[in-house]
Amino acid sequence: MPKLTLVQAVNDAHKAEMRRDDRVIVLGEDVGVDGGVFRATVDLIDEFGSERVIDTPLAESGIVGTALGMAVYGMRPVTEMQFSGFMPPAYDQLMSHISRIRWRSRGRFEAPMVVRAPYGGGIRSPEHHAESPEVYYAHMPGLKVVIPSTPYDAKGLLIGAIRDSDPVLFLEPKKIYRAFREEVPEDAYAVPLGEARVSREGSDLTLVSWGYVHQVALEAAEMAEGVDVEVIDLRTINPMDRDTVVDSVRKTGRCVVAQEAPSVNSVASELAASVNERTFFSLKAPIERVTGFDVTIPLGSKEDRYIPDAERLERAIRRTADF
Amino acid sequence: MIFVPPKNLVQAVNEAMMTEMGLDDSVVVMGEDVGVDGGVFRATLGLLEEYGEDRVIDTPLAESGILGTAIGMAAYGLKPVAEMQFSGFMTPSFDQFISHASRIRWRSRGRFSASLVVRAPYGGGIHALEHHSESQEAIYIHTPGLKTVIPSSPHDAKGLLINAIRDPDPVVFLEPKKIYRAFREEVPEGDYTVPLSACNVSREGSDLTLVSWGYVHRLCLEAAEEAAEKEGLDVEVIDVRTLSPLDFQTIADSVTKTGRVVVAQEAPQTLGFASEISARIMEDLILYLESPVIRVTGFDTTMPYHELEDYYMPDVGRIMRGIRKSINF
Repeated sequence: MPKLTLVQAVNDAHKAEMRRDDRVIVLGEDVGVDGGVFRATVDLIDEFGSERVIDTPLAESGIVGTALGMAVYGMRPVTEMQFSGFMPPAYDQLMSHISRIRWRSRGRFEAPMVVRAPYGGGIRSPEHHAESPEVYYAHMPGLKVVIPSTPYDAKGLLIGAIRDSDPVLFLEPKKIYRAFREEVPEDAYAVPLGEARVSREGSDLTLVSWGYVHQVALEAAEMAEGVDVEVIDLRTINPMDRDTVVDSVRKTGRCVVAQEAPSVNSVASELAASVNERTFFSLKAPIERVTGFDVTIPLGSKEDRYIPDAERLERAIRRTADF
Repeated sequence: MIFVPPKNLVQAVNEAMMTEMGLDDSVVVMGEDVGVDGGVFRATLGLLEEYGEDRVIDTPLAESGILGTAIGMAAYGLKPVAEMQFSGFMTPSFDQFISHASRIRWRSRGRFSASLVVRAPYGGGIHALEHHSESQEAIYIHTPGLKTVIPSSPHDAKGLLINAIRDPDPVVFLEPKKIYRAFREEVPEGDYTVPLSACNVSREGSDLTLVSWGYVHRLCLEAAEEAAEKEGLDVEVIDVRTLSPLDFQTIADSVTKTGRVVVAQEAPQTLGFASEISARIMEDLILYLESPVIRVTGFDTTMPYHELEDYYMPDVGRIMRGIRKSINF
């Protein structure tokens, strides 16, 4: 079995599914001749041709709007946005049309399409290149939001997203595009959407996160000597698998949620609120949120102070364990 | 003493702009049909006649252009108040909000700011069509650099809007259209402000804290009356008014007294602002709580239209069930 990085696994998912299903096409800025800004679509144009791998103008709204029309008429478009910070121009298409076409047409039309975008900080990029905007899309009924944290899941979840009959936003943690490799099967396999994964078992405290921060969480769990931490990778933000988190918290009685995005009105808040509601009598401490700060994500090396690191997570684990 | 007739919420909004434009020449109003037509809900009625077309500008139907133009005006010293006809049509201007308006102070390290207001009617309850009934406050609250204000009464609408116009940073001012003309109250003549970032305790009580904003706040006042009459419960009602930045202290003071909380909103539950308030209360005040924070919300579907919205939006009965759930926990 080949060992792939996360971005290679994303590339592999495209290839496997495009070979299997002629309806799958790829479109976006520089996805063809150039192979994508992060090389996620490299070689696709050579194998599948320019009718299925389409270089578009720099126009995010047009890209996803075109994909919606394609999807409604039976294709399975996979669009790439170069950075999630450049998705706001496409926001109206996503909010006002893509997320609602099934609802609006009372099930007559559907939009089986994927919008992929690298997201999050950690690569010292300029403004608009480091945001974690999952909230804007996960608060939108009708749109699924998926964030992988490993190469294996990236391939399986992306294939699951392409096969899904509803629109899926697929956010890829660019900080760990090439951070590590793992074994990824060569065939086309799907990881089910809407299911969190317990990536480390433990009995004292539940630590929930997704994307890059999930890797930080695994590190923090090792550092927190004396506290047996269970780590959960949420994987799908919407629909949110609250059941897996609730089951874990009923066992451990303590919970920390960690994310890169600003704290106010965030996914961590939603998880804390809904898990609290269902585990009130099991909790031995309040659910703590470890998050970015309520400012625009800063530039250059300052992002190291913004994105939660293992030390911040470990402190939260200790505070919660000692409450 | 001259009798001043009581005013409704949309008249109070109109009076806020009329007043502030008279006091400050740098205030300009712009948007679709705000001039000759006086605004789709008549919020800008009479402004064109009073202040002329240099200060009351009818724009093309182009939300992104309206906000983008307002940012430029604000960065160069004007105080634009832009109207979006319905909050459901703000999404084409989302990029200007997220990528520019909210960050111009941060990006320029304080050299520029965007002292502007975007006003929009929001929420359901008038049996409107698609895109006309959304409650999308969460996406603006989650954006650092934007303030988000939602009034629930004529008095507050005027005082908060005047303060929003004077604020040095961009403010999203969402007006609950369901109660634009629902009731009248006394609105002081001339110039006064209601502080931003200050919740209002609109009914005092000791058994349970009921938190909301906009139209749903009116329902909460009704529910509190019903809880008193039918259940003998003494409910404290808080109108959040400014959702971002949040005056958490007022909520905390109430919760430490009552030990029970219900948060009610119109927006879908997942990632709604009720979740933020709930998470914060349980994080900071868990030892004061006698039951978990209960959320009464819209559903995680697109807002339905026509009379189906009556099943979507919280009503007094649903809020009462939330109250009972909290009390009987």
